[in-house]
Parts: sequence; structure tokens; C-alpha cells
Amino acid sequence: MHKHELPRFLFIFILGITACIVLSYTSLVSGSYSISLSEVWHTLLRIQPDPELDLVILDFRMPRIIIGALVGLGLGIAGTVIQAISKNGLADPGILGINAGAGLAVVAFMFFFLGNSPLDGFFSAISMPIFGFIGGLLASFLIFGLAWERGRLDPQRLILLGIAVGTGLSAVSLYLSLKMKASDFDLATVWVTGSIWNANWYFIIAIIPWFLLFLPIILFKANLLDLFQLEEENVKGLGVRTERQKLILLLCSVGLVAVCVSVSGSIGFIGLMSPHIAKRLVGLKHKYVLPISGIIGMLLVIVADLIAKTIVLPAEIPVGIVVAIIGVPYFIYLLFKARA
Amino acid sequence: MQATHNTAAKAILILFPFAFAALAICSMMIGAKDIAFSTVIQSILHFDASQPDHQIIMHSRVPRAIGTCFIGAFLAISGALMQGMTRNYLASPSIMGVSDGSVFLVTICMVFLPHASSLQMILFSLVGSALGVAIVFGLGSILPNGLTPVRLAIIGTIIGTFLSSLASALSIYFKTSQNISFWFNARLHQLDPNMIKLSIPFAIIGLVMAIYLSKSITILSLGDDTAAGLGENTVRIKLLAIISVAILTGISVALAGKISFVGLLIPHITRFLVGNDYRWIIPCSGAIGGIFLVLSDVGSRFLNAPYETPISIVTSFIGIPFFIYLIKRNGGKANA
Repeated sequence: MHKHELPRFLFIFILGITACIVLSYTSLVSGSYSISLSEVWHTLLRIQPDPELDLVILDFRMPRIIIGALVGLGLGIAGTVIQAISKNGLADPGILGINAGAGLAVVAFMFFFLGNSPLDGFFSAISMPIFGFIGGLLASFLIFGLAWERGRLDPQRLILLGIAVGTGLSAVSLYLSLKMKASDFDLATVWVTGSIWNANWYFIIAIIPWFLLFLPIILFKANLLDLFQLEEENVKGLGVRTERQKLILLLCSVGLVAVCVSVSGSIGFIGLMSPHIAKRLVGLKHKYVLPISGIIGMLLVIVADLIAKTIVLPAEIPVGIVVAIIGVPYFIYLLFKARA
Repeated sequence: MQATHNTAAKAILILFPFAFAALAICSMMIGAKDIAFSTVIQSILHFDASQPDHQIIMHSRVPRAIGTCFIGAFLAISGALMQGMTRNYLASPSIMGVSDGSVFLVTICMVFLPHASSLQMILFSLVGSALGVAIVFGLGSILPNGLTPVRLAIIGTIIGTFLSSLASALSIYFKTSQNISFWFNARLHQLDPNMIKLSIPFAIIGLVMAIYLSKSITILSLGDDTAAGLGENTVRIKLLAIISVAILTGISVALAGKISFVGLLIPHITRFLVGNDYRWIIPCSGAIGGIFLVLSDVGSRFLNAPYETPISIVTSFIGIPFFIYLIKRNGGKANA
């Protein structure tokens, strides 16, 4: 079994990447304005560029697909880490209220800064992930702090508190967004439902550094996540400073989630589903699970976005809603499977 | 101990009309246009159709005060029934996906029967909340340990998300999202007097059932086995209680959309005041719930004056800390 793990991982990895590329291509050519294969190539390789195609492909569809892929990647990996740390297969950044915290911080940012001074798009695109990170961090400290009792984390209580705190923070977001001007309100509602239709290149530039910072740390520490599945005492016996390592990993995954939320709003269930699918495919070792989970997350968001933008032409369904409709049945399936 | 609890319960029920009258008058005076106390009294006693203030009071503010009180009472009683029946301290209409079921069917009604009458809307809303309860409790009973507080809360939240996602997808697909976002968000300021009148017969059925069941719910709250041992037909009681919950929650959603936390919060406060006898808890929850919602409604006009804040925000601000307190106190473990 162990001998086959690596080839199996590589096979699934390549398969996943190929599927992502094929689906991205499908997403690139479909929409209210159909584009042919040669037109895509001509635009990308700059052969006789057509300004109209440039606009559709380079300014609208490409950033959207890239953002979708990045968000899926981030949520899939963060979900895996959070499930491993909390030893709870039902944990998900959305259910745990981290999304709501990051969303609130972004809404607060828009409320206090965007309304008053004429800031250009680049500045706000750069600052929103930072605010999202702070908000997500505060929310997760609040939730984990409340769930912490006598030196241990009660997983059941963690989920309940997450639901409660998340609902509360969303109520505050709604309250703030109602006090905004109508144009800012429209922008803010994007965060409530989870949508990537307003993606642009600024967002991509703004979030890439964060991914470059957090992803290597998490991947580098993947083996530690395997150890956390053991009993706490055994891990300490192996000479690992568990609390410190948990904190670092948690910070990194909250960072990823917050950055994703700051560009796409609250998309739930990706962080829940991807790790489970990944574990079915490549076993339990986190050095294999993490990358696959990220790829599954990418696939899920790209597919959900493809459905979201093509099913109701010319209107669009927020991608978060599509993900919820796919995700809930899977969640219930997990509940059935989970041992009592 | 029992005697003091009974006194408390009687005091609540006796004070309720006075508290409601005082709050209702406050609620009628305060708003986008402040109206003097004397004008309020005058318009109720000697209605004069030519005066705009009188029109505002009779056609907008009186229905609002009365309707709000009804809704608060219905939600609190639904919550009390659910908590007693399942012995689950987190059971309540908004957490258990009942309200979302209602919103879902109302969406279907608006999409496929765009010219439905108010009565049809109410019926759809009732069927929807029954659907929500059925799915959540159905799954809860099938799943291992599904009826413990945590599991049921998770299932409820998830099913709620699912139904409301489906509803918004449908509404966007059929391009009626604006009408439907009405139903998602509580809108006490648009309470329709005709809807209130139409809902009264349903409300009476629901309330009579709740009160008729109250004694059995007390026995059921001791545990299924004990109740069966005492000769109660537990399945029948649960079924009737669910129907009553579906009716009361369904009407509330039909009247004013989704309002969270009333059904969770009020039964706990009531139990603290009047003890564990559901013959007292159910009517007292109704009284306290009504007063609570009217009070929150008045508060919602101050938070962001001159605009009104959705009532759900106000109830969440009060309800969330309480929810967290309940979780901290009872823990995630099954609560017997």
C-alpha cells in the first residue's frame, strides 16, 4: 500500500491539474458572449488582438477564473488544516464563523474608509485582505477562546460557538452595510452571499503575496498535522511544541481564509468538502492530502462558478449559493457516515 | 418553590395586558413621524379619517404594534414547544430551519403562482414550515445521535442554509429576487392588516393546540420513557406539537419574514421565572415573547434613526450573547 502512495498521488495531482485547465478553458469560452478556441489563443498570444475580445477575455473572464481558482485553493488547504487541528471532520471556516469575522472587517473597512475619501481601486484592493486577515483572526481567537476549557478544545462546542459567533458577526455586518450609501451597500452585499463576478487583476496582485507567504509554511509543516491526529501526550513526547505549532498553523490557515473572503466573500463548504474528497483519493498523509485538497477546492469553485454564470443567462447566481446547494447534501452524507 | 413559580406566572399573565398597552402606545408615538400621546389616544377613541395622523395610526402603527406582539408570542410558544418536546435547549424555529422552509415554499409560490392571494401565501408558508420541521427532525431521528442539541443545531443550520440557498437561486433564476428578498428580511413596518386578519383563525388553532398539549409536554419533558410509562402516547403528542409549531411559525414568517432568536431566548427566560410546568410556560412565553418583540421593534427605530433597522439585527444583538452563554453553561454534550 505504502509503495503505491506516491505514484497514486502524482497521478491524481496531474489528473486534477488537467481537469482544472480543461474546466478553466470551458469557463473562458462560455458565458453570455461565446468565444471560439482560436479567438482565445489569438488573444492570449497577442496575435492580431481584437480590443473587444481583450475586454471580455482579459478583463472579465481571466481574472474571475484565476480568483476562483485561488480562492478554492486557499479554502481547500485552510479547511484541511483546521479539520486536522480541531480533530473535527465537520469543521469548516464558514461554519466556524471565520468567514463572518473577515467579512465584517471588510465591510467595516468599506464603511469607514471607502465612503469618505476618493481612494483608487488599487489601494482598497491591497488593504482589504489585510483588514480581512485581522477580522478573521479576531473572530477565530474569540471562537477558539470561548471553546477552550480546562486546557482542551471541545470540538462540539467549537462548532456551536462558531455558528453563534458567525451569526452575530453577520448581523453586525448587515447593520453596518445598511448604514452605507446605496452604491457601497451593493458592494457590501457581495460579501454576504459570496460572489466573484467583480474580480479584477488588482485583487489577484493583492492576494498572491499572502498565498506565497502562507502556503509554503503550511506545506512545510504538513507532517506535523499527521502527528496532531495522535493523542496530545504522545506528540509532546516526540518533542513537538504542540501549542506553538498549532498556533502557527492556525494563523496561516486563518490568513488564507481571510484573504479569500476579502476578494470573494463568504463561500462556505469548500473547506469542508475538499479535505474529505482528498482523503478518499490519496489516504491520510497530510503531505499528500494538502495539495490534493487544494486542487479539489479549485475544481469545485471553478465548476460552481461555471454553473453560476451559465445557468441563468444573462443573469448570474452568486457562486456561494451554488456551492451551498452542492455542499449541503455532501455535508449530510458526512453526518450519516460519521460515527456516533 | 412551586407556589412562588405559580405566583410569578400569574403576575406575568396579569401584567401582560398593561405592559402591552403601554408599549403599544410608545410604539405608536415613535417613528418616522413622531405623534403626540393625545393624538394617539384620540385617534383610537374618535377616529377621524380626514386627519393624516389618525390615518397613520390606524392603518400603519396599530397593525404594527398588534402584529409584532402576535409574532413574538407565536415564535416564543413555538420555541417552548420544541424545547419541551425534544428536551433540547437549543431547539427553536430559526435555528431548526423551520423559518427557512417557510421562505422556500413562499418563494416557490411567488415563482409559480405570481398572482396568489394572501390566503394562499399563508397556506404555502404553513406547508413550508411543516416541511422544514419534517426534514430537520426526520434527519435528526435517522442519524446516529441526531437529536442531541449539537447535532440538531448543525442539521438545522445546514438545512436552513440549503433551503434558503435554493430559494435565492430559484428567485434569481426566475428574476423575482426583489420580491423575495422581502420575505427573507423581517419587515414589521409593512405588516398588512388584512394578512393579520386572515391569519387569526390559524393562530387560534395553533394556540389552542399548544395549550391543549401543554400538560403532555410537561410530561414529555421528563423524557420519552417516563412519559410512555405514565401512559402518554408520545408519538401522537410529538406529531401534534410539530403541527402546532408549523402553524405558529408559518404564520409568523408569512406576516413578517424571518426573525431569529425570539424562539430560543424567551422560553429559557420564562422557564427561569415560572419553573418547569409547561401549562404555565406556554402562555407566559407567549406574553413575554410578545412584549419582547414590541420592545425590540421600538428599539429598532432608535438604532439608526431616522431609518429603521431590521428587527432581526436587534434580536440577534440580544440573542447571540445569550446563545453563547447557553453553550458555555451546557457544553456541547448531550443535555438530559
